[in-house]
This record gives sequence, structure tokens and C-alpha cells, in this order.
Amino acid sequence: MRIGYVCKYVPAEALEAMGAHMERIEPDESLVSFDAAESCMHANVCSFAKATFETVLSGNLDGIVLTTCCDSMRRLADALRAQAPNLFIHVLDVPRDTGEAACALFERRVAELLSSYGKFANATFSEKKLFAQLGGTPCPAEGTCDSSLELDYARLHSEAAQPSFRLAKSSSVSQSFASSNQAADSAAWSEGCEASERNADEAVAAPRVDNALQPQTHFSPAMPNVGIAGARANAEIKRILESHGVNIALDITCTNASRRFVPQKADTLAHYAHDVLTQLPCARMRDISPRKAFFDHVLPQIDGLVFHTVQFCDMYSYEYSDLKRTSPAPILALETDCTVQSHGQMLTRLEAFLESIGASQKEHLASQKGSPMSKTATFVVGLDSGSTSTNAVVMNEAREIVASVVIRTGAKAGASAERAYREALERAGIAPDQIACTIATGYGRVSIPFADENVTEISCHGRGAHYFNPAVRTILDIGGQDSKAIHVNATGEVTDFAMNDKCAAGTGRFLEMIARSLEISLDELGPAALESKKHLEIASMCSVFAESEVISLIANNEEKPDIAAGVCRAVAGKAYSLMRRVGLEGAYMMTGGVAQNPGVVRAVEELIGEKLFICEDPEIVGATGAALLALEKSV
Amino acid sequence: MRPFADPIHRYMDHVRRTCETDPERAWRDALIGFRGNTWGSRHLPNFHAARGYHKLEAYTLGLVSDQLGHESNYVWGNVFAPVEIMECFGLGTVSVECLASFFSGYHAAPYFIDRAQESGIAPTLCTYHKTVMGMMETGVLHAPRLAVTTSCACDGNLSTFRQLGQRMDVPMVLLDVPYDNDDASIDYLADQLRELARTLEELTGVPFDESRLSHLLEVERETNILAWEFMRLQAEHFYPAEFIHHLFFVLAMQLSAGSEELHDLLRFMVDDIKRAPRLQGDKILWVHLMPYYQQSLKAAFDYSPAHQIVAVDMAFCTMSDLDDADPFRALAKKLIGNAMNGPYERKLVLVDRLLDATHADGVIHFCHWGCKQSSGGSALLREHLHEAGVPLLQLDGDGIDERNSHDGQIKTRLEAFFEVLEAKRAEGAAQGGNVNEESTAQGGTAETKGGAR
Repeated sequence: MRIGYVCKYVPAEALEAMGAHMERIEPDESLVSFDAAESCMHANVCSFAKATFETVLSGNLDGIVLTTCCDSMRRLADALRAQAPNLFIHVLDVPRDTGEAACALFERRVAELLSSYGKFANATFSEKKLFAQLGGTPCPAEGTCDSSLELDYARLHSEAAQPSFRLAKSSSVSQSFASSNQAADSAAWSEGCEASERNADEAVAAPRVDNALQPQTHFSPAMPNVGIAGARANAEIKRILESHGVNIALDITCTNASRRFVPQKADTLAHYAHDVLTQLPCARMRDISPRKAFFDHVLPQIDGLVFHTVQFCDMYSYEYSDLKRTSPAPILALETDCTVQSHGQMLTRLEAFLESIGASQKEHLASQKGSPMSKTATFVVGLDSGSTSTNAVVMNEAREIVASVVIRTGAKAGASAERAYREALERAGIAPDQIACTIATGYGRVSIPFADENVTEISCHGRGAHYFNPAVRTILDIGGQDSKAIHVNATGEVTDFAMNDKCAAGTGRFLEMIARSLEISLDELGPAALESKKHLEIASMCSVFAESEVISLIANNEEKPDIAAGVCRAVAGKAYSLMRRVGLEGAYMMTGGVAQNPGVVRAVEELIGEKLFICEDPEIVGATGAALLALEKSV
Repeated sequence: MRPFADPIHRYMDHVRRTCETDPERAWRDALIGFRGNTWGSRHLPNFHAARGYHKLEAYTLGLVSDQLGHESNYVWGNVFAPVEIMECFGLGTVSVECLASFFSGYHAAPYFIDRAQESGIAPTLCTYHKTVMGMMETGVLHAPRLAVTTSCACDGNLSTFRQLGQRMDVPMVLLDVPYDNDDASIDYLADQLRELARTLEELTGVPFDESRLSHLLEVERETNILAWEFMRLQAEHFYPAEFIHHLFFVLAMQLSAGSEELHDLLRFMVDDIKRAPRLQGDKILWVHLMPYYQQSLKAAFDYSPAHQIVAVDMAFCTMSDLDDADPFRALAKKLIGNAMNGPYERKLVLVDRLLDATHADGVIHFCHWGCKQSSGGSALLREHLHEAGVPLLQLDGDGIDERNSHDGQIKTRLEAFFEVLEAKRAEGAAQGGNVNEESTAQGGTAETKGGAR
């Protein structure tokens, strides 16, 4: 029987001891829509739950064991029961407490699960089998079993179907750490850890809580160490990080059940249930102080933390909010929705984060084409391939812009980039062999094969802004399909950034939509807003709703300038929210196409109570930053 | 229009602005506004609403406004906290959802929500929770000495209360309400409730009196019978109410469970409604939260003889027999038996019971932004009512943040739904049958599509 599960509190080993083949559900990364899930649940439930729904319905599983970890999972169980009545669908109630009473209740619920699975699969459970499953068999002596078992679910179910578990002598990997709750002992703790860290690339056990179930950490002395925390992260995040030369030092996302058991001969099930319930708590448990202790311990040792959340899963955002205030390591909040569409956004955010922590080591850059400046090659090019416009800047050795080009991005980003490149060179009056290095940035940066390197638009805007005005600390960039706020330090390095989610509200595209409704051109919208005499509020946060709101205002015979001003204020409000997230530090600069809209500019200025610095051509700031980076590569 | 509307709006505006500029003063001035509102409700006439609802309004407003400002007299709770135990110690319970709602009355919710989101809280979280988190972030919120929350019906409770507790230094009692409804779960929760009583003994220095708790449950049992009777009568008589009054009914039933005053009020309402004229219009069963500010819904339901809300499921979802000799076990049964706890099937059973009692013509299910447990079951509810032949309107919106719902769209859906009801009624009349036994296999459901993003 193939039984799926998604939560680390599922007693997978006990079910395996009954012959079940347990599969942790990895939502198919080719998922493009949640049509079935949304019609059988609702659009606004957790994307991971929706993805699991689609996977179970389309998969070859005989059943699934869910837990009461959150409301979305509860409803997922209800929906699956209705849609797949022949499957084994069990909801395991996991107490939020871990005290004696809770452990007893949990053991009971686990036993009920095993019994109900037994009926479904015609299988029986025995504690002896569980003991063996947990690695208890090779015990040298009866009753004094001290061999511990390291069980990593990911490895367990890897394609190669390696031996299910790896036995590890507990003394070789785990230190005798004191309880994480006792501050007095934390020094002993750290010493233990440091001792292990000296053994390069050796697995280091994290501090123990109350039992031996600890998340594994793995620090590299040579590579940047990045951790992953938060809700269920898909394999893509790890792949991206690893392909950028990053060591994943830890992964404590909620379904990553990498844990070690010490099976007990007597009362095997009770001990096992206790161990499952008392592992490093997930965010829905009552006492999450072990998580805090764990973070206190590991955060100073890593270069950055990717904090992953799933769209419509709110559980971990509280922890993020805490860590954001207190963490010594930089944190990237990364939200995905378990579909293939989020890949592009994810890549930009992860790359920008790695750039900002100085940990970007892209594999494909090992063989850099960019050559040092020579007598003939004395120019560099920065190319910014955005969704609306493609911008190119040619720069000379003296950091002067010799030519710049802004063209509309057509259907093919690569072709537009090539055209912008050619036109920029023509305008500068130079030949391609005079270019020492070309760096691409922007949404389409990966589709420009002739570029020597690509860097995210976040870093490039930081550099570009610093070039135009070194006093700038906060940059607001509103482009065609996304908007972002970037904080830079005195040297133009990005220290923090925030981007809009997968939504058009607050972007150039939104303004375009509204201009169309108002039957004016996009260029007229801003100046029109300045003529406004009446204060109209566009309340909706959703661009689709906002558009209907505008249509209602038109129907009510409101004046176009008043509507335009209301829309500009709505966009400015969204932008201001992003700016607050990176801290409001002056001076302020605005870049991107929307910086040419005087209505939005005025509305933003009203909110920040300060003038925005806007350079002559705000669309070329990203390309200028790319050119500056190209220049650095070439000297 | 009530008297003094203009100065009231000006004062509301003042409080909203003050939230942004002077948090300490905003709290003080907001409380003055709440008390003024309660005073107005207690002493000024409302010629449109039935007497029972007018009294209920004053009573419910007082539940919150009389407590705030006296931070040692109440604890924070969620809407399903066991208020009966707090009452044994003379402590009130102010639900944080209610607090959020009250502040949103000043149109201050968007400001708080934005501040919460900027601190890293997920935009997809329930807006009640985000509002309270924002109130904490901005320093507007004042804290009592203790917070008591249950893990039901919402998975955000624990996290929100934990965050509030940690940041504002308020100890928190979390009652872990199990999913399965059996003796093992009841014992597990009853022990937690006993522990809560001990905690409150320590906090207040008042010894716990179990017979007092038993008495409160006795009153609650009688109140429940009256509430059920009132609901049945409301399906027969036109008893004019504002849209928001139905929300007050929910709040009073949950936050004032066991109160003699509520018992007497319901006694009055049962007697009073019997004298009201027969209801000619459509009977609507409302499921889940109510966006009290929504203009289109107010326009359709305020004092309307054409469409009367006859029951809101949230007022009845925790109703249990409370028949255990051990009051802690009785309370534990009530909390675990909540129709919002456990599988969605329980909610469907409750909806069936309410339909049986009221013969409602149609059901409106309001999917509040961020509420996964209610939204997640919407397809099951649709399927279930389709089979039962009861027209259903599902609305996506937001209980307090106007930016997450589109009034024009709700209005259109609502009007279409009323047309469906009307057609069904005409069809029923033509066939001389009971409309409730007619099938709507021809597609008597309407839905709002998509959702605010």
C-alpha cells in the first residue's frame, strides 16, 4: 500500500512497520493550476493543501494520513473524503501540548490510526516490528539497546531507494548538549558545537531539546551557509541555492522530518509516540521555545536564512516577524504557491538575496566570458530586460554613460535585448569588439545568451541609484509588472528589499488598465491626476476589484482627473507599504517607468513627506547599475 | 438616520486620524467613542428596530465598552473562549476579534492591517487577527493581565495570542481543543479547564466555586433553549433588525454565555417577537461571519420585511446539552462539539438542524478573507445544499477590511440570488407545494468568483 503524508508528526515508521510504503507528498512541480482543488475547496486555502489535493487525486496513492496541523489541512481531509471515498484518508489529531496527558492522548490517536490502517490494508501492528523498523534489531544485548537511528525521510524515499535507514553511532554525531531551555548550559552547548565544526563538513547535531529528535545541521567552512526555515519548501528552492554554490546548513521547514530515534524495547509504541510528538515543535505547537533556542544557536553561524512561506499559510509569518526584528543573520521572506509560475519570481528573490549577502557564486559564471579592459575593448554594456521596456546603457572606463537606449519589450525578451544592444552600440558609435563585458539584468535576464553574466535588477538598481545620487538610501522602483523597495547603504550595496506579490496591483500594468478604462493614454494619466479637485478613494487592494471600482466611479459621472488622482494614490499607498518594510530612510529615489508619472510621484511624496529624487531617465537606472557591475568585472 | 450623525462621523474621523499620530490618545478617545455609542444605544430611541434587537444592541455594545479601560477586570479571549470560567472570578472576556471589529468601526482597520503586514505578518491572515496585531505594533492596544484562547475554531488564534502575549508581556492560557469528539478528548480538555480555574485563582486571589460554574451552565442551558425558540419564531414573525444586529446576537451568545442578563433579554425577545406581524418575506439562514459595514448587505437587510435573516450559524454552533455532572467536562464537551471544530460534516449537521427549525428559503455563506476553515468547506456546503434543494449564495469578502471586497459585485450577486428565491417562490405557489421541498437541480446557486488579491 502506498500511503502519502505531509506532516512530520505522522508516525510514518509505525505504518511502515505494518508494511505500508510511506511517501512524503512532494507537490508536482509541473502543477500550473488548482482547478480541481479550487472547485472542491476554495481559492483562498493554503496553496500547499491545494497542491496536495491535486497530487492525491491524480496520483497512485492508496491513501493519505493528514494531521490536524492547520485549518487548510482539516478541510483538505474533508474534501478528499468526499472526492476519493475509496482511499484510506485518516486525520490524526496532534495535540498542541507535549506534556504527559498530551503524549498519552497522542499515543491513543496513533494506535487508532494503526488499527484503522490495519483494517483497511488487512495488516497487523506489533511493537516488535516497530522496534525492528526503528532499527532496534541489530541490538547487541537485550534490554540495553543503545544504538540510535538516523532516519531522513528525504533520503528514505529518494529515487535510488537506498537502504531505508542509516545507522549511526550516537557518540560520533551527537554531542551531549544540555537542555536548550537552560541558559546556563548554553555555553557548554556552543563549545560542543564548535568542537564539531572544526571537523570540516562533518554533520553536527543541533542542541537537543528533551529527546534525541533533533534537526540536522551541516556547516561548510568553504561555502556560504544558508538555512531554510518556515513552511514546506519545495525542492526547487534547494536546487536554486545549490546551483549558486551555497551550502544548505539546515532545513527546518515544517514537513522536513529529518530525525533520529532511539527505540525502546519495552513500551515501544508509547516511547515512539512520545518521541514523535516531542520533536522540534512546529509553529502550531503551544511551546515553541525550543525553536527559539535553536534559532539563537544557529543564526549567528549562518550567512543567511531563507524563510519560506506558502501562499495562504499564515502559520509561520509570526516567526518571520519575530526573526526579522531580532535575527543576527539576514533573512529573506520567500512566498511561493506551489506552482510552476512562481519559479521566475523565486529565482529573482533568491539571487538578489544571495547577492546582497555576498554569497552569489553562480556555477555558470566559473567560465566568465568577460575579459579585462584592453586597448581595444574599453566599453561595457548594461542591459535591463524588463517586462515593458528593454534598456541598454553603454559606459566607458571613466564611468560615463556614452549612450543609452529604451525600447519596448516585444513578445520575445531575447530579441528585444539584442535590438537594444545593437542600437545602443550604434548610438555610441562603437563596434561589438570594443565591449569588454555585458551584464544583463531584469525579468528577462536569463534569456540573453550574449551577456557575460546576469545579476538581479535589485542589485543593479542599488548600484545605479548610488551612481546617480550617492545620498539615496531608499529606492522605489515601479515597473510594468512588479514594484519593489530597496534599501542601500552608503556604498550602494543592497541591505534589504521588498517586492510585491504575484499581483498586478500597484504596478505599471495596473495604471495601464485604468488608463484604458478612463479612455486616456497612460502618459496623460499622471498629468490629469494633478488637475484633481475632489478627493476620491479607491479602496480595493485587488487590481481587478479596483478596476471595477473605477468603472463604478465613471458610471457615477465622477471627473477623470479625480479618478486618476485616486488611482495614483492607491498605487502610492501600495508602494509606501513596501518602502516601510525596508525602513524609511532618506534620501529617496524613484526609478522605473512609473517614475515618469507625476501623479504617482506626487502621491508618494505626500506619504513620505519628502521629495523623491528622480533622474533624467528613470528607466535606465537598472541598466546603469548593470553597466557599473560590468565595469567592476573588467578592471 | 439616527440623531447626531454628523458630529459622530466627525468624531470617528478624529479617532481614525489619532490612531496614526498619537496611539495613547487614540485608545482613550476610542474608548470614549465606544462608551458614547453604548450610551446612545441605551438611551436614544431607534424607531426602526424591534425592541428586542434595540436592547440586544445596547447589551452587546456594553459587553465591550464597559470593560475596556478597566484592564484588571477582564481577560482577552477569542470568540469561543470559556467565558463561564472567567465569570466565576468576576472577570469579563473581551474577544480580540470584537476589539478589532470595534476599532474598524472608526475605519482604522486598514491602517492597522497595513502595519501588521509590514511587520511580516502574512497578508492572507484573517483580518481580525491582523487588525489586533497592527494595534499592538502601533502601540494603540492596551493589555489586560491574562489572555485565554482556544485552538478552535481558527488556527490563527494560538499564534496571534502568543505574539500578543510575548510582545506585551501578558501570560497566555491556550486551551488545546482536540479534533476527535470522544471521552479521551473530553478528559484531556476538562483537565486544561481545571488548570485554567487554578490559574485564575492565583491571578485574582478569588477561590474557585464549582457550584457557581454549575449554576452558570444551568442558566446557559435555559438561555440556549430560549435562543432556539427565538430563532424558530423569527422564521415566522417579521422582527425588524439592522444587519449588524444579527452579528450582535452571535457575540452576545458566545461572549456572554451563562449570563442571567442575557437570559432575561432572550426571554423578553421571545415574548416580544410573538406579538410581531407574520413574516411575508424570504427567510435567510446566514452562515459564518457578517461584514457589518457592507452597504449592499445593509441596504438589503436593514429592517427589511422582504428578506429577513432568521438565524446565523455562529450563534448556535457551540450549543450543547451541557448535561455532564462535572461542569468542566460539560464545558469541554461544548468546546469540542463546536460545529466549527472537527470535520466539516459537523457544520453540515448544524446547517441541517437550522434549516429544519426555520424552513429557511435560502442560505448565504460568507467566506471571510483569511478564514480557511470556513472557505475550505464552501464546496461541501454547496454540494450538500444542492442535494437538499436549498438555494445558496456564496460571497467572498472580508468581515472588517473593506478593501478585500467589492460592494458592487456583492450587490449584483445578492440581487440575482433574491431573484432565484423569488422564482422558486412563484414556482412553489404555482404548484401549490412547499417551496422547501422543491429541488433546485436547475441551478439555484450563485457564487462570487475568484477572490480579492
